[in-house]
Amino acid sequence: MLLLDIKNLTIELKTPDGLIRAVDRVNLSLREGETRGLVGESGSGKSLIAKAIVGVLNKRWLVSADRFNWCGQDLLRLPYDQQRKVIGRDIAMIYQEPSRSLDPTAAILEQLEEAIPDHLLEGPWWKRGYLRRRKAIGLLHKVGVRDHQAVLQSYPYQLSEGVCQKIMIAMAIAKAPKLLIADEPTTALESTTQAQLFRLLASFNQLKGTSVLLISHELESIARYTQSLSVLYCGQLVEAGETASIIKQPYHPYTNALIKSVPEFQPNLQPKTPLYALPGSIPVLQHLPIGCRLGPRCPNARKECVKTPTLDRLQNHYYSCHFPLIGKKDL
Amino acid sequence: MNTLLEVRDLCKTYHKQSGWFSQRSVIALQNISFTLAEGKTLAIVGETGSGKSTLAKLLVGIEKPDSGDILLAGQPVKISHYRQYNHVIRFIFQDAAKSLNPHQKIGQMLDDVLRFSTVLDAQQRKLKIRQTLKQLGLLDEHSEYYPHMFSGGQLQRVALARALILDPKLLILDEALTALDPSLRAQIVNLLLELQQKSGLAYLLITNHLRLVRHIADDLLVLHQGTALDYGNTAHVFSNAEHDYSRKLINSAIA
Repeated sequence: MLLLDIKNLTIELKTPDGLIRAVDRVNLSLREGETRGLVGESGSGKSLIAKAIVGVLNKRWLVSADRFNWCGQDLLRLPYDQQRKVIGRDIAMIYQEPSRSLDPTAAILEQLEEAIPDHLLEGPWWKRGYLRRRKAIGLLHKVGVRDHQAVLQSYPYQLSEGVCQKIMIAMAIAKAPKLLIADEPTTALESTTQAQLFRLLASFNQLKGTSVLLISHELESIARYTQSLSVLYCGQLVEAGETASIIKQPYHPYTNALIKSVPEFQPNLQPKTPLYALPGSIPVLQHLPIGCRLGPRCPNARKECVKTPTLDRLQNHYYSCHFPLIGKKDL
Repeated sequence: MNTLLEVRDLCKTYHKQSGWFSQRSVIALQNISFTLAEGKTLAIVGETGSGKSTLAKLLVGIEKPDSGDILLAGQPVKISHYRQYNHVIRFIFQDAAKSLNPHQKIGQMLDDVLRFSTVLDAQQRKLKIRQTLKQLGLLDEHSEYYPHMFSGGQLQRVALARALILDPKLLILDEALTALDPSLRAQIVNLLLELQQKSGLAYLLITNHLRLVRHIADDLLVLHQGTALDYGNTAHVFSNAEHDYSRKLINSAIA
């Protein structure tokens, strides 16, 4: 069953010079128990999409969509209170910098207990405090913090970034959400801790059936832990489909460039040889090219590319390009 | 190949007052030795707190080592000779946007570097700035720009220009590639490799990004809590690391 089904999501920013379209008609869907990666460079709007899903964008942003369904309910058309209720119950999010998103003035125990909703505590009211504490300790054990006594009494600044991130995950899973959104969960971490965290997220996905939306700009780390992938460029969806098939045969020149620029996906590449790179740089939001936004940087751009390509589909693989890189034998 | 930089038994300990009479000391580096030849790349990897950044600080002379020698082309380096060797070793910081002065035009900034460290006159300085900008794929009119007018990748090029304008032999990159987007990173990596081939620059790459290390580094040094664990040819260390810790680090990046 489709958990999340978004069609033509558009997010615009009101500025004195008119509306700027930061996210342009993006489709995104998530099945129950699926892990999906959302890849894009800075400014591609991936964090905006995540924030739009949890509804925390401020009033300067205009969010519109043809369809914004969560378990069959259109979130954008629900009254505000109800929308908050549904999101609060089912969706949890992990933010980029854990040490900055935890409250610096409160001990971990207090913050963690606050994140546990009442309806998950089974027992008479006079035992609530005790149960809550037990639950908090259990959560810490679940995310792989063994020394719970020391951690619960500490303040965020006393803990390392990796432990802080684990606490953020503990707080996110406290309410047993259906969807976990992880917005660049590993940028601030060491490579050994990174692997640990990805394994942790994968285990929740497998044991509890929690769907995970993993947002990152590092294609290589995401490819290992996700089943499906959506690639964004400057607010446009360029390619979506199963991770393995995208990595094997990308149809969009941008995805192709992303994959080729990572030495790991090029086993035959000799050390110290130049990597494949697209010329130019990511355009700023005020000066977005019309049509396909990759246009000016694309190696096979032609006249038709000034029109925005529609999202085409080949089996389970979606791409939006006028001239997809499909192997000759497929045609 | 000539040896450019040789480091012998470098030690550094930080002392911290923890009471009236008691001191606590933290050993940041312990007996670090390595050599770096011209035109080669040495990567230093390790967790936070492993002493990577301390090592970089010692090499550029921000801090003084407790014991041990740093030899640059056979000559021992002293802090008091800083002016002599700051031409030779240049440093690039993690975040280009934060390490450039927002009030200063790019041309002005590059001119300052030349004014402080060389004896060139105004005309020669101008010529040098133009050459350097061209070498890094920037335009002449970029010298009239302020840092905020550049995009991320161009800023990294400007930071490189500031480092390369004195024709250094060794460039220390402290996590300079980590924060970049993948396509920009590929561009910068290509630029660095090209410069290395053309002018025989040596790089000291301090990073967490092991996959990139495998591609661009000739040698690899694994640091853990101030001690060197594995040191040697990159491919060799990757295939048979001796210590458990380095193996764990390598596996986490590859497997």
